[in-house]
Amino acid sequence: MYLQVSAMSSGDSSGDGGKWLDAHYDPMAGLYTFSSCVDLAELSGDGESRLLVGDLGSGSAGMKLKVYRGTSLTSESTLLDLPSGVVAFFMDLHEPRIPAVAVASGPCIYVYKNLRPYFKFTLPSLQVNTLEQDVWQQVREGQIDPLTLKEMLESIRRKADVPLSMRSLRFLSLDPDEMDDYVQLHKQQPIRRQTVITCISTLKKSTADDDGVSCLVIGTESCDVYVLDPEAFIILSKMSLPAAPSFMDVTGQFDVEFRITVACRNGNIYILRRDSDKPKYCIELASHPVGLVRVGKNVVVGCTDESLQGFTQKGKRLWRTVLAAPITTMAAMDLPTRGFQAVLLGLANCEVQLYRDKNLLSTIKTPDVVTSICFGRYGREDGTLIMTTRAGGLIVKILKRTAVFDDRDGAPGPPQAQSIRLNVPKKTKLYVDQTLRVSGESGAAMHRAFQMDLSRLRLAAAKAYVKALESSLTPVSSSLSEPLKMNAVVQGLGPTFKLTLNVQNTAACRPVMNLAVSFLYDESLYRVKNPFLRIPLLVPGLIYPIQTFVECTSDKGIADIIKVFVLHEGRSSPLLTAHINMPVSEGLTLN
Amino acid sequence: MVAGWPMGLFDKLAAWLGLKKEVNVLCLGLDNSGKTTIINRLKPSNAQTQDIVPTIGFSIEKFKTSSLSFTVFDMSGQGRYRNLWEHYYKEGQAIIFVIDSADKLRMVVAKEELDTLLNHPDIKHRRIPILFFANKMDVRDALSSVKVSQLLSLENIKDKPWHICATDALKGDGLQEGVDWLQDQIKTMRT
Ligand SMILES: Nc1nc2c(ncn2[C@@H]2O[C@H](COP(=O)(O)OP(=O)(O)O)[C@@H](O)[C@H]2O)c(=O)[nH]1
Ligand SMILES: [Mg+2]
Repeated sequence: MYLQVSAMSSGDSSGDGGKWLDAHYDPMAGLYTFSSCVDLAELSGDGESRLLVGDLGSGSAGMKLKVYRGTSLTSESTLLDLPSGVVAFFMDLHEPRIPAVAVASGPCIYVYKNLRPYFKFTLPSLQVNTLEQDVWQQVREGQIDPLTLKEMLESIRRKADVPLSMRSLRFLSLDPDEMDDYVQLHKQQPIRRQTVITCISTLKKSTADDDGVSCLVIGTESCDVYVLDPEAFIILSKMSLPAAPSFMDVTGQFDVEFRITVACRNGNIYILRRDSDKPKYCIELASHPVGLVRVGKNVVVGCTDESLQGFTQKGKRLWRTVLAAPITTMAAMDLPTRGFQAVLLGLANCEVQLYRDKNLLSTIKTPDVVTSICFGRYGREDGTLIMTTRAGGLIVKILKRTAVFDDRDGAPGPPQAQSIRLNVPKKTKLYVDQTLRVSGESGAAMHRAFQMDLSRLRLAAAKAYVKALESSLTPVSSSLSEPLKMNAVVQGLGPTFKLTLNVQNTAACRPVMNLAVSFLYDESLYRVKNPFLRIPLLVPGLIYPIQTFVECTSDKGIADIIKVFVLHEGRSSPLLTAHINMPVSEGLTLN
Repeated sequence: MVAGWPMGLFDKLAAWLGLKKEVNVLCLGLDNSGKTTIINRLKPSNAQTQDIVPTIGFSIEKFKTSSLSFTVFDMSGQGRYRNLWEHYYKEGQAIIFVIDSADKLRMVVAKEELDTLLNHPDIKHRRIPILFFANKMDVRDALSSVKVSQLLSLENIKDKPWHICATDALKGDGLQEGVDWLQDQIKTMRT
């Protein structure tokens, strides 16, 4: 075991960009489990967190609750049936604060305290089909033989709304020669119908504290969700779902407000809340969910179509991304000390990928397909990643203290900068003083002064506007009958410049006619080739370039303004005026 | 918890060397490796703990004997305080690096911290003696000092004198050997 440690720590074998330290790998650990059956908890009050694993063994034998400390297995307890979930939770307020362990298995929850069996909770039995009961009654009275029993049970199964009990179902699967013995063995016992637990989670009772007392929340094959009281193990709340739940995420506090997000076997996700025993929201997925993880307020779901999807807590889809391979398992990576939250995905191509929203942050190559992932504090290390493989191996990696994950968003979408919180400075003393001043007695005076200044500003703006209109100094005509726009371009180095006026009729459909352009300039400096130009009919929308040449007749290196007027025949004031700042002539006068 | 010896080991060392100027010793290692226990063993009973700065995620202990000053800190927690402790590297003239030999899982973390330390600009090119205490050797299943030095790749340290010894800080076993070695090193450093 030690040799593996040294061999692995010598290099960055996993291709994860050196973000993880290889703390331990035991390919022969013999741990056959899923993420729902793995948890981390401080079970001894020594500041060292232990690893809890509900081992499924071979699937029919060897089921165990195993506890690891560091690299070694420290305790094993045999389980009677396959575990469907393992959670550590605080069931009381006793000191020292050591959590109990709950193992969901079949119709029962086995609670361990100090790793010793403490309590067994069994789900209430379900209603038994009365026809089924009658048939077995007749068997007991010797009125019918096993073959008739079989026929009758089959017909009940076909049409009954209450399903058959386990005893009848098992009977129906027997060979005819086994039936007699089976009937003899069971006929005297009363019929019971039990459901089994499919998933388990915890819900804080009334405080959000890390070591606050938690209720157990269980989902059952009979499509129910139960919330159990942590001390008395009575059912505090029962909610119903349209289908059997397979994955569950629970958040909030039972006494205040909570939210149970359940992925069900019908391919839908339902969101249950405190105030209703029926789902509040439903997310219909295009393919079946294989895992569900909460990140902040959002829910991330992995599906069988190799996609990863993000939803709001009201079921609105935020994003979807396609993965390289099918998902084998999912877990949350939560590092509160760094404010880091992401999703870990085990993939069928022997990779574990880390996603923050739809962005892939890092990929870890694993020696085998990973079937369970758990991230948290293990031993004394906060950032520990624990994985078990299909062949039963145990892999432990520790996040390097120096590791940083940058998620440059490859996909189009809002830019990164949009989600960065601005570092808004704290309120300064000046701000506070000013706020006090405003809210105090001088507020009214400040308001009056501001209103006065604002009125003055408006007046000044209006005056300037009127003046501009009166002298038609704007490059945009305000006339309603001839709405025009013009800009001017001067090209060349001199002494000859090309002057282009781009004139546009901005009316919706009316053409403009009878326009002309004239120039006003210092004749001792400039000579304009055509100082008066007629403008053709202006079709709305088109830009008409009107060109002429301007020659600078001075060699003194001075420049002046040329004024351009757009005139309408028969009207004295121009429609438009433009002042063109001529550039200094840099060319030599040749003539 | 454990009282120091009548005359602290380092007091003897200092007296023997007749040092005038104090020597700064950095005592480093992951949290829970046994630094505080070791230092309490080494320091004379009358030594004053100069200051303990318990900040969230970061704490430094300092104390002085007549001629030695100790700076002790945990190389743990997540990143944020790293440059705080690296600040002390410059003035360190000897290093005691403590390892919990029973914590196999975090041996890689200890190695990572050691490598980062050895590559730090204030340490890298100086011939500082480093004493490794493979502590908690009394714990069942603890790694031997040979195994620890292998896992930390100590054989790669070529430009600094180093020494490793297995210790049980609770009983004080193994500390003397290390201190003797450090004594020699400081002596050669001074002459
Ligand atoms: N068994 C054993 N326990 C030790 C040894 N040294 C320290 N400890 C224990 O380890 C824990 C952490 O020791 P401490 O000195 O506080 O570690 P620091 O965090 O490095 O200062 C305490 O409970 C000590 O009693 C040792 O050599 N053997
Ligand atoms: Mg300490």
